[in-house]
Amino acid sequence: MERKTVLSLIIILMFACLIIGLFNLGILQGAKFRRLSDSNCIRLIAQSGSRGNILDRNGEVIVDNKISYDVMILSQDLNNIDQALTLISRILGIGIVELRMAFKKNFISSSIPVTVAANIELKNAIILGEYKIEEPSIIVAPKPIRHYPYGALAAHVIGYVNEIDRWRLTKLEDYGYKTKDIVGFGGVEEKYDYYLRQEEGGLSVEVNHRGKFMRVLGFQPPRNGKDVVLTLDLKIQKIVEENLTGRKGSVILMDPFSGEILALANYPNFNPAVFVHKRTKLISGLFNDPDAPFLNRAIGSSYPPASVFKIVLASAGLELKKINPATSFVCQGSTMVGARRFSCWDEHGVQDLYQAIAHSCNVFFYKTGLLVGAQNIHDYALKLGLGRNVGSEMAGETSGFIPSPLWRKINKFQNWFDGDTANLSIGQGDCLITPLQATNMLAAFANRGSLLTPYIVKSVGGLDLSVKKKRFTGVPFKKNSFEVIAQGLAKVVSDAKGTGNVLSTLPIKVAGKTGTAQVPRGATHAWFVGFFPVDKPRYAICVFLENGGPGHAASLMTKQIIEAMNNQGLI
Amino acid sequence: MRGSFFKILILALIIASLGVLSIYSSTSQKEGMLWQEIYKRQLLWIMIGLVFFFLMSRFNYRKLWDANYFIYGAALFFLLLVFGLGVIRMGAQRWLKLAWFNFQPSEFAKLAMIIFLARYFSRKSIDDTSLSSGKFGIFQGIILPFIFVGMPMFLIIEQPDLGSGLMLMLIFVGLLYLTHVRLKYIFMLLAVLILPLPFFWHFLHDYQKQRLLVFLNPNIDPLGAGYTVIQSRIAIGSGGFFGRGWLRGSQSQLYFLPESHTDFIFATFSEQWGFLGSVLLILMYYLIIRQGFIIAQRTQDAFGRLLAYGISLLLTLQVFINIAMNLGLAPVVGLPLPMMSYGGSSVLITFVALGILVNIDRTRNVF
Repeated sequence: MERKTVLSLIIILMFACLIIGLFNLGILQGAKFRRLSDSNCIRLIAQSGSRGNILDRNGEVIVDNKISYDVMILSQDLNNIDQALTLISRILGIGIVELRMAFKKNFISSSIPVTVAANIELKNAIILGEYKIEEPSIIVAPKPIRHYPYGALAAHVIGYVNEIDRWRLTKLEDYGYKTKDIVGFGGVEEKYDYYLRQEEGGLSVEVNHRGKFMRVLGFQPPRNGKDVVLTLDLKIQKIVEENLTGRKGSVILMDPFSGEILALANYPNFNPAVFVHKRTKLISGLFNDPDAPFLNRAIGSSYPPASVFKIVLASAGLELKKINPATSFVCQGSTMVGARRFSCWDEHGVQDLYQAIAHSCNVFFYKTGLLVGAQNIHDYALKLGLGRNVGSEMAGETSGFIPSPLWRKINKFQNWFDGDTANLSIGQGDCLITPLQATNMLAAFANRGSLLTPYIVKSVGGLDLSVKKKRFTGVPFKKNSFEVIAQGLAKVVSDAKGTGNVLSTLPIKVAGKTGTAQVPRGATHAWFVGFFPVDKPRYAICVFLENGGPGHAASLMTKQIIEAMNNQGLI
Repeated sequence: MRGSFFKILILALIIASLGVLSIYSSTSQKEGMLWQEIYKRQLLWIMIGLVFFFLMSRFNYRKLWDANYFIYGAALFFLLLVFGLGVIRMGAQRWLKLAWFNFQPSEFAKLAMIIFLARYFSRKSIDDTSLSSGKFGIFQGIILPFIFVGMPMFLIIEQPDLGSGLMLMLIFVGLLYLTHVRLKYIFMLLAVLILPLPFFWHFLHDYQKQRLLVFLNPNIDPLGAGYTVIQSRIAIGSGGFFGRGWLRGSQSQLYFLPESHTDFIFATFSEQWGFLGSVLLILMYYLIIRQGFIIAQRTQDAFGRLLAYGISLLLTLQVFINIAMNLGLAPVVGLPLPMMSYGGSSVLITFVALGILVNIDRTRNVF
């Protein structure tokens, strides 16, 4: 072959090579390179809206948001991360080791900014902002975070916010939740997270090789979360919390006609702000606290109702016609049930129903209980909303427990004795109720006949929910039964020897029932449940003090609360 | 005769216009008056190139025979000048600053070398069409021309411009192959050149070493030396079959692709016009080159024939190496894509070379 022919062939071969190379890149691997090209130049800049506020019934802010500043590092254009971290460390006064740890922990990919320090002071944010030119990889991003102007106020009702955990993420992924989303934990924050939650907006922008903004490809405006208006009254809630602080227990105030919870406080409580500021040590301290500060005692924990349960006995007795208002028993300090002596806490002498309620006479109710029978007591307790969930929207409710002969037979293979009936008659034994159930029961007497569904959220995003939330269940008692028992409850306070007589000095007439629950260990639990004013009830109240001593302690606290409310003109 | 003139002119004009479009697209997003002016400057150079193309197509190429030593001397002189007072840009001293533009003598040296070699292997007499090299021994056939080629090559490699230096070498080997120098000698030359390469490794600049390593595996340094190749491959690949459309190439326009208007203009073009456009472009280059070969084959005059071969070979090698390096098939060496890449010297020299080519075809019929 001639040399020039060989050369021509070589040249054709060379060009064929080029075309094969082109084919490989553009056609065979085209899709891959197209993706790489897009990821080169398209960035998503998230813009977060702010989470909805939580307001009280009068529109006062309980929880809102404030702007915080996060320091983030965009590592893709950064050769020396340590250099940037050193600068941040110097300005913020945080150890570089800590920053490096935070960087490693939060790192996702080099094109996504990594938060190394969250929630820094405004002053530092401004200083760092001035390094924008020298260190463009350090980003100071404003971000709305939860702000709790009243600290721990109503913490159990509200709950807290934190980064989504794995369990919630798997459940909520389909609803558009993502890793590292801030979601509500507990209380209204969790229950209404879907509404409170802000919608992340963002810009999709085209950037050049330096990450410099070129043009906007698309924009989705962020949307703020919807405001949630609670039924709580901030003023009452404050009074309640002030009085409860330092005492283990819970206090509930409820509107006895609508079921709106006006105040709900538990102690020990927690400050939700610790989650916003990521105070790890404080948080783990709270979780490990044996006093369980996260427990919403008002609904999530049940206790022996003790004398509070006598209201059930009175209702059952009257309804079943085993007793009438004129029925009286003689209290000699104790009575024999079978072979066992059941004692009263005092020697009351002749007691009719009103007196028995007022003096909380055990003997009267032992005898009533034995007349009525255990199964009936159980049934009437359930009719008054005990032993089952009240159906409040708050998460973590327990149903409490009302024993019955049948239950004992089936589950414990034991027989029920009269002694057990006597024990149940004064709310001891296996019987357990929650403070909210007690409140709800008293509300039925305050409104003379309706069992309510307590609720805590009045409206969401301007949409009034109270119509839907207001649900009554008629309690099929005779009108007279309610009247008689309500009078008895009024006597608890007004009677000179009434167990709640301490409340009689108040300018407002209060009706209620005290309770002193025996517990296996420690001091007794103190109860006071009631409603006021007696003539035109506006509030149902429950004060429960865990290991708080005799019912008198609860009555005292009730007095202080009502006094303060009266002083502020809330009644 | 008219045929080759118009074929080459039209192909060259189309390619040059596509080049201007690509330069415009790659610089349109950049800030600064200077960037916005670049495509206009390229247009100006193409105008000047066309003028030279017409001039050279009228200028009897035989006169180059006589001017040969002068041209060779001038090339060496410019290269030495660059060595002394060249403008340093991007770490290399390749440009001479003349009045309002920068001149790149290595471009001129390539053409000068071809003229010199064509002259060296042919006879003065027009009637004697045989090559003088048939009887050449190893000294006359290989060593002596190698010394002549070696001098400018050394100066160019020292600039440093490894690409253009090797280009001279490849043209030399290619032309040797087309003369009647014995194959044995050529293989000896290649052996002498290739065997000590590992030894020369130590004389390479760090960036050159890195480029070669990166060529073997671009991912060893994705943000450094490998960056360009990776981005170039992304640009070409993302074009797909039909391309992303003019002014819509994100790689080239958003500056992810460095040198998108010079050495990597092919990637810029390919991103926007896709596989289809790129194949057509390569085809056009091939047609020009084929035209060169046809001209060479029908030229009786040995000097003209070798000159035409040399020019075609120069075009072939530049196009091939540039596109191959855009595709990541060859190491990154600073070689422009003829007629497309921004650069006055390259455009001008290419049009001059094409002008000579056309003139060879025109003059051929005179005898």
